[in-house]
Amino acid sequence: MTVRYNSIGYLIAEGFKSVFKQKKMTGASIIIMCATMFMFGVFYLLGENVNYVMKQVENQQGMRVIINDDATETQIDDLKVKIQQIDNVSTVTFYSKEDALASMKSILGDHQDLMAGYDEDNPFPASYFVTLTDLTQNSKVQEKILDLDGVDEISTDNDTIANLSKVAQSIQTVTLVLLSLLIVISIFIIVYTIKLTVYARRREISIMKYVGATNSFIRGPFIVEGIIIGIISAFVTIGIVALSYNAVLDRVLESSVIKSLTISLYGFSELILRVLIVYIILGTVIGVLGSMISMRKYLKV
Amino acid sequence: MIEFRNVSKKYNSSDNAAIHNATFKINKGEFAFLVGSSGSGKSTMIKLILKEEEPTSGKIIINGKDTTFLKPSKVPYLRRSMGVVFQDFRLLPDKTVYENVAFAMYVVKATPKHVRRQVPMVLSLVGLSDKAKVYPNELSGGEQQRVALARAIVNNPSMLIADEPTGNLDPNTAWDIMGLLNDINLRGTTVVVATHAKDIVDRMNKRVIRIDKGNIIRDEKGGYDGEI
Repeated sequence: MTVRYNSIGYLIAEGFKSVFKQKKMTGASIIIMCATMFMFGVFYLLGENVNYVMKQVENQQGMRVIINDDATETQIDDLKVKIQQIDNVSTVTFYSKEDALASMKSILGDHQDLMAGYDEDNPFPASYFVTLTDLTQNSKVQEKILDLDGVDEISTDNDTIANLSKVAQSIQTVTLVLLSLLIVISIFIIVYTIKLTVYARRREISIMKYVGATNSFIRGPFIVEGIIIGIISAFVTIGIVALSYNAVLDRVLESSVIKSLTISLYGFSELILRVLIVYIILGTVIGVLGSMISMRKYLKV
Repeated sequence: MIEFRNVSKKYNSSDNAAIHNATFKINKGEFAFLVGSSGSGKSTMIKLILKEEEPTSGKIIINGKDTTFLKPSKVPYLRRSMGVVFQDFRLLPDKTVYENVAFAMYVVKATPKHVRRQVPMVLSLVGLSDKAKVYPNELSGGEQQRVALARAIVNNPSMLIADEPTGNLDPNTAWDIMGLLNDINLRGTTVVVATHAKDIVDRMNKRVIRIDKGNIIRDEKGGYDGEI
């Protein structure tokens, strides 16, 4: 008797009611949504980490632009400005002939005698060390630099760069495919779940139509139901992803391969907010779309 | 109030028209029977009035507005001007009598205060004040139809459409319901009743629109078969 006839309260209450009435179907759709969201999450995190690693490698893996030996000092200064003007160039650092000689000497260590006489007639060229903001643009930047005056040649580790950007791109593709798949499967599942509720409440819906309820009012509780399923799935998945990510991260960081490299990976706390937001948006959108689709037939009368 | 102008309705599945060239007008405050044997086209007529079905040709004017080209989004507002009762009552089994009636109010976004005032009033009008907390399955058929009537009039519609309201009731109870419909009519509501119950129509002695095989064959005050 003491039911409160408040519209928004009604929508939310009815939405929750049907979530609990259709326990099995709701459970099944949450599990399937979690599974697909989890797969998406794995690839999303993998992609984020590969991008992160690439950024670090990009900072280390620059290209060495060798300057013509007969270039004048003004030409060398000009060149720096011109390189900096090229898109995607991050930093440009000058290494003089003396720097080059010094670094060679430090590499040789105890065998300084090999370098005897080079101090008077330094054969090492001066160079610019150029790093990029986007490693995939590597070959374009190289072409542009080679066109500039005073450039002799470019020495770079092209293979590493190409390999890394290939990996990054394929992960991006897989993530996109999984995302589309996730959306399609989840919508399908939610449509099916909500259709059951709609069917169970078809009497109520038809009465609502006869007394003049608007379609948006009738749809309300079902949309709420969809959103609840979506958001529960989002939170359950984020928990599972957090646990598995940390477990995997511990193993990876302990492995000698990573230890030998000077790169780091994201900790989960740095990513959790981003993943959670993505999940909640996905869950909500899928919930809303799913319930709209499942209601279509019943709203025609 | 309700006007049909040369309305025909054909269903895709059959060659014969369910309604053939129907023209009539029911005025504000009138009480009219739509009579005919089952399959005559009565139900189609009701569905056309409720805009559950669209006419194949012709015009249907309700409250002075041509509803033929009414946008689907406007249909709910049209329906708020009519209360509907059916042969099978169509109550919600998991809601009490009070909640069943109140439900019709809050789906059209009535304020809680208005609901608290209006529901007891219509329940007393249909004589069910003492059954407010009871669930529909604890009520007799006649009482259930009274709840349905209360629900139909709780939003003060200007017309009441009843499709075979006494079809599931014994003669005495049926007569009670008709009395109630008459009371509602006397309060100023236009009432349209589709039925094939000859004895009731004869006893009420109201306007009768008789349909046979989709055609209106008689439209005058009197009994089921003609003037009494």
